[in-house]
Amino acid sequence: MLREENAGELIQGTLEMLILKALARGRLHGYAVAEWIQQTSQQVLKVEEGALYPALHRLELRGLLQAEWGASENNRRAKFYQLTTEGRKRLNAESHRWARLSAAVAFVMQAS
Amino acid sequence: MAPGLHEFLLRVKSLFRRRHMDREMAEELEFHQAMLRQRLLRQGIPAEEVDLATQRAFGDGARWHERLCELWQFRTLENVLRDVSFSARLLRKSPGFTAVALLTLALGVGANTAVFSLINGLLLRLLPVPHAEQLAVLRMEEGGPQPNYAFCTPFFRSLEARHDVFADVFAYNPDTLQVQGRSANENIHGMLVSGQFFRALQTAPLLGRYLTPDDDRRGGSPAGLAVVISEHFWESWFNRAPDVVGRKLVIANVPFTVVGVMPKRFIGADPTERPQIFAPLSADPIIDAPRNHINDGIHAWWLTVGARLQPGVTLAQANASLFTVSNPILHEASNDASFIVDEEKGHFHFAAEPGSRGFTYARLLFRRPLVAMFAMCGGILLLACLNLASLLMARGAARERELATRLAIGATRGRLVQQLLVESLLIAALGTGAGLTAAPLVSGALAALLMSGNSGVQLDTPLDLRVFGFAALIAVASALLIGLVPALQATAGNVNDHIKDGQHARQPYERRKILPRVLLASEVALALVLVVGAGLLATSLLRLYRSGVGFDPKGVVNIAFSMDKQQLEGDALMRLYQELGEGLSQQPGVKSVSFQFIVPLSHLHWTGQYSAPGGSPQRFNMNSVGPNYFATMRIPLDQGREFRWTDSKASGLKMILNQSAAKLLFPGEEALGQQVTNVGEKTSYEVVAVVGDTKYSDMRAPAPPAGYVPMMQDEQKKPSLHAVVRVDGPQGPLASAARSLAARLAPAIPAPTFTTMDEVLNNSMNAERMMALLAVFFAGCALLVTAIGLYGTLAYATARRTSEIGIRMALGAQRTRVMAMVFGENALVAAAGLGAGLVAALFASRALASFLYGTSPRDPWVLVGSVAALIVIASAASLLPALRAARIEPMAAIRYE
Repeated sequence: MLREENAGELIQGTLEMLILKALARGRLHGYAVAEWIQQTSQQVLKVEEGALYPALHRLELRGLLQAEWGASENNRRAKFYQLTTEGRKRLNAESHRWARLSAAVAFVMQAS
Repeated sequence: MAPGLHEFLLRVKSLFRRRHMDREMAEELEFHQAMLRQRLLRQGIPAEEVDLATQRAFGDGARWHERLCELWQFRTLENVLRDVSFSARLLRKSPGFTAVALLTLALGVGANTAVFSLINGLLLRLLPVPHAEQLAVLRMEEGGPQPNYAFCTPFFRSLEARHDVFADVFAYNPDTLQVQGRSANENIHGMLVSGQFFRALQTAPLLGRYLTPDDDRRGGSPAGLAVVISEHFWESWFNRAPDVVGRKLVIANVPFTVVGVMPKRFIGADPTERPQIFAPLSADPIIDAPRNHINDGIHAWWLTVGARLQPGVTLAQANASLFTVSNPILHEASNDASFIVDEEKGHFHFAAEPGSRGFTYARLLFRRPLVAMFAMCGGILLLACLNLASLLMARGAARERELATRLAIGATRGRLVQQLLVESLLIAALGTGAGLTAAPLVSGALAALLMSGNSGVQLDTPLDLRVFGFAALIAVASALLIGLVPALQATAGNVNDHIKDGQHARQPYERRKILPRVLLASEVALALVLVVGAGLLATSLLRLYRSGVGFDPKGVVNIAFSMDKQQLEGDALMRLYQELGEGLSQQPGVKSVSFQFIVPLSHLHWTGQYSAPGGSPQRFNMNSVGPNYFATMRIPLDQGREFRWTDSKASGLKMILNQSAAKLLFPGEEALGQQVTNVGEKTSYEVVAVVGDTKYSDMRAPAPPAGYVPMMQDEQKKPSLHAVVRVDGPQGPLASAARSLAARLAPAIPAPTFTTMDEVLNNSMNAERMMALLAVFFAGCALLVTAIGLYGTLAYATARRTSEIGIRMALGAQRTRVMAMVFGENALVAAAGLGAGLVAALFASRALASFLYGTSPRDPWVLVGSVAALIVIASAASLLPALRAARIEPMAAIRYE
């Protein structure tokens, strides 16, 4: 699902959570989503196109994202995604869940 | 929106924009590639290598595209659509099977829906008024076997004044009103309603106002007599004139003011009535003149009474309250001591029952026949389903190889069952659709048949939500019944065997398959039950017709003259009748003419109490008739003479008795020449003749005792009589002749109405006729469907055994033996079915017992005849495949493999 230098087993649905997070600040097209994740993760997480688009479309089908066509920064027609109310709610829930999970994992790993 | 629903809708949408979405996905992926390529260029990759690098970074674009397509696919729905088109192709390929399947199912569904919509119209539908659930119908319990729903005026007026449990109490009486038209009076169907009638039914008028308690007073409100008209009457009589409120209508020669128009949906409280004019109850002495139901007090039981409950009051509370007021009201109503004693003996009390569906006598008459017919329809639908199931099963057996192959190359059993089910669902949907299209026509015709002879009465059978729900329910139920069993059966079993064996001779003929035979046998049994039922009903109706009525109805025509609102009376009116009679007898084909007050079997009654000198009083039916009546009706005149025009009031009162009445009054004596006395009036009559017995009001009851008085001595001042005319040849010209004769001799009266005695007789047996008609039709269909089922399954089975039979014949089997073998297959099934059906028929026919006239529910001739009919049908259906089997050429059959 994700290509990473030291590929760990990432929990299912993490990509979807990252996509939701990427879209939290406004509408983006697929390429921009991938780029944002890559840059923000300091090039650690690299989203593969074969996984990105199915994930985007799945989220759209479930009504978490809304898609519309518009002009990109270089004036090409591109499909832009944006969070729906449902999507925003889901992002919130996922962030909380992730925070608890990663804290828990950190505790375990730091135990002596 | 629920996420599941959102997804469903998007997927459905994507089904219709498949190409568009495909393009969009490609564009989206292309855009990504373009962006990637730009970045690579920016990062300094040389232009000639950038294409390759982009591709390496992006991966396989075509695969990503495919993944997206899969994501959006609506697998289930697409499968269903594919199944539907596949099934449609299969059905088109076997048009014979499809036609039979659709026709039988359409018949079953159509018949069920038609009868259900009758039941819905008569028994289930709520009155179209607000809060119909608060309405109640009042009745009287008098100790008799049936409650009495007809009230007299004093009872109603006392009830009307009470508002403790009821918000409103109302009464009505359907009536015929004589309204002055351009040239003469016209008969218009209307209704007399009490003051609280409209208030209780809470329907706002279209124009003007409705009638109130103020209008329901002798002479009307201070503003005069008022009526409310229906929207329909507004249209036909006033041409929808906007200024209709305030206009006059002359009813029974008295002007009434139109104060309002009621909308079309308002029909009053009787679902079978369509009154054109609503007039106040208190106007009865004017409208029904010279009769006066109000003055008749406890002797006129003419009102149907309903009520609207006070908010929050239950029916039980209302009944408790009615119970306590019953006795005081009884004493208030009359000081006739014998009447009160009689009623108290029967524990007289009022009672209320739910009235949300209104009240109609038709319901009391037709409830049981309708339910019986509904059961018959259910039987025919079940038969159609069984038939289709067995045909599909036989077809499934023929398709075993195809199905097994599909199973072998990876189809799941569920998938195949789904496909077979879709096929039967398709049949069910098409058949139900056809049935539903035909249903309104059928139910309309049935309603007309049921209600014929009751002028102004009609039964609506709209296809409302309840009927559609019912139709959908039976459609789904029959689809499952038809499809599920054959589908499961066809896909069961060992894949390997099926593929290897296919339909070849090595396959042992499956004698173990019991299910198809059970289906066929139950089909035969069900058909037998339906045929026995139809046989019983038809025999009963025939016996009823043959039982005779005591007169000869063939060629007799009744012409009704309404004389009650014209000027002449007494002897002058009799002279008018005489002129009318002479005019009629000069018409071509007329053999003789007379007059009668009551048309036999038209459900009208007139009884009188008479005694012989020294004898006890006897109550029997009466009629008032003209000269030459018995010759015209062909009632045998045993002794004495007919009435004559000279038997006027001045010439001394005369009476003619029928034989039963003569025996009743003068047992063992000669009645002719004796005197009989009217018990009430103390008047004396001379018996001038004894005539044959005739049926009076009930076809089913034996002819009752009856007396006849001459019309010239009728107590009524202005009797409205029917001319009875015996005609030879066509009766059509007589109607117009009677109309022009009446217009010439009595210009003020409404056009005379014309009914043949045959119609009267038929109408008095409506329910019986309809049941017998439907039953015979269904029995015919049942026989046909069963024949098709037996033939179809045997033909399929035999076709699959072609090579087996070929081998048998090559080994020396006689053709007759082969025939017997194939024929025997069905004979066994039919015999089992007949046995079971006979037992079932004996039980089921008991339910019909109350509908039968002079026929035992176990009538041996009917039973024997029905079994014989089924044997003939089953043999015919089995003979054809057997003959075909016998004609198989062994060499050709074996080589076929």
